[in-house]
Amino acid sequence: MTALTGGVREFVLAFADDEHLMGQQHTEWIGIAPFLEEDLAFSSIGQDELGHAAALYAIVLGGGDSDEPVDDRQLDALAFDPDPLRWRSANLTEIRTDDWAHALVRHWLYDTAEQLRWELVADSSLPALAGAAARAEREEWFHRRHADGLLDVLLPAPDAGERLRAALADLLPVAVGLFDPVAGEVEAVAAGVTAAPFDTRMPEWIDRVRSRFDTDLPLSTRSPAGRTTRSDAFGPLLSRMREVLDLDPAATW
Amino acid sequence: MTALPSVEAVRAAVATVDDPEYPGISIVDLGLLESIDIRPDGPGEAGDVVVGLVPTFSGCPALSMIADDVHAAVTAIDGTTSPRVYVRWLTGPTWTVERLTGTARRTMAEEFTVAVRIGAGPVPCPRCGGDTAEESMFGPSRCRAVHVCRSCTEVVEVMRA
Repeated sequence: MTALTGGVREFVLAFADDEHLMGQQHTEWIGIAPFLEEDLAFSSIGQDELGHAAALYAIVLGGGDSDEPVDDRQLDALAFDPDPLRWRSANLTEIRTDDWAHALVRHWLYDTAEQLRWELVADSSLPALAGAAARAEREEWFHRRHADGLLDVLLPAPDAGERLRAALADLLPVAVGLFDPVAGEVEAVAAGVTAAPFDTRMPEWIDRVRSRFDTDLPLSTRSPAGRTTRSDAFGPLLSRMREVLDLDPAATW
Repeated sequence: MTALPSVEAVRAAVATVDDPEYPGISIVDLGLLESIDIRPDGPGEAGDVVVGLVPTFSGCPALSMIADDVHAAVTAIDGTTSPRVYVRWLTGPTWTVERLTGTARRTMAEEFTVAVRIGAGPVPCPRCGGDTAEESMFGPSRCRAVHVCRSCTEVVEVMRA
């Protein structure tokens, strides 16, 4: 069992962290979404993202194509690491929102970028990553259909449309940070782990954002944070995720 | 006496494991079993047995329960002594509803009122055979959508591709 190292590790870890935090964010809508179907939808979508995160963390730890399964505790130790310096998440996945319009717009922005991200690793030199990409795309199709179905109905409605556009204006400057290069991405490209740097797909994402929201909002500015800086929302988010572990470090579930 | 089990014996042992979501349906009928690898020269005392499974969905919460059950079933095969048993969740191939056997589909329809969506087009109601319409693509669990039968008005859960 060979754990990933260097830039390739950083590259896969950043993807895992994003999936993990988005999954967590979605699960926080369970029970408080505007209607029952949305409770179910966000829980199902969150479950998928957490599944992708677990698969990616396992690849980081060297369990991708090994007979020796990755120990759950080892995986949890990485996934719930209390040290903020270990994290590579994009700030979009860290911010908390109690507004469902923001949650829906983030869901669309993230999943649209996620599709492009999986496409880049569909023929990865890491067979486990290519396998995860094939499985993920089959699941992501439902996520996009869910978000698009709601936006189709809500964007043309006067009040809802206004709230969604306001959410978009808030989120876009943060969302572009998804494309901030991860340290080590160059190494991952050289090793054939990914086909190209993620930001080469940014123009495609911008086209989709513009056509989906019929917006001319400026999109070229990168978030200043990059992938090495955690937003203010990160600490509280990690605390919520670690709540049980912090109460009882020996807890099992 | 140490001996490794045959592939057939391992398959039979895996077939005794039911899916926790569908008690009475074997994970073999659900199409989860992908490979059985017997390695006499593996580093285990009597060699290794590696069982390769494919998950229905990557976020399925039952994965570790299923892996534990398979491990226990294979380890308990009569006449074998301490082979090292590994249960692997494979990263490929991707599970699809086409992997379900006829037995699994029948039991799902009869015991659970669960239909299976294959390809496009209407999904027939497992109770009356009428057409169903999708009510919500997200149902009570990750792998099932909710339909309603246009003929008998029964709520039908649909295992989706």
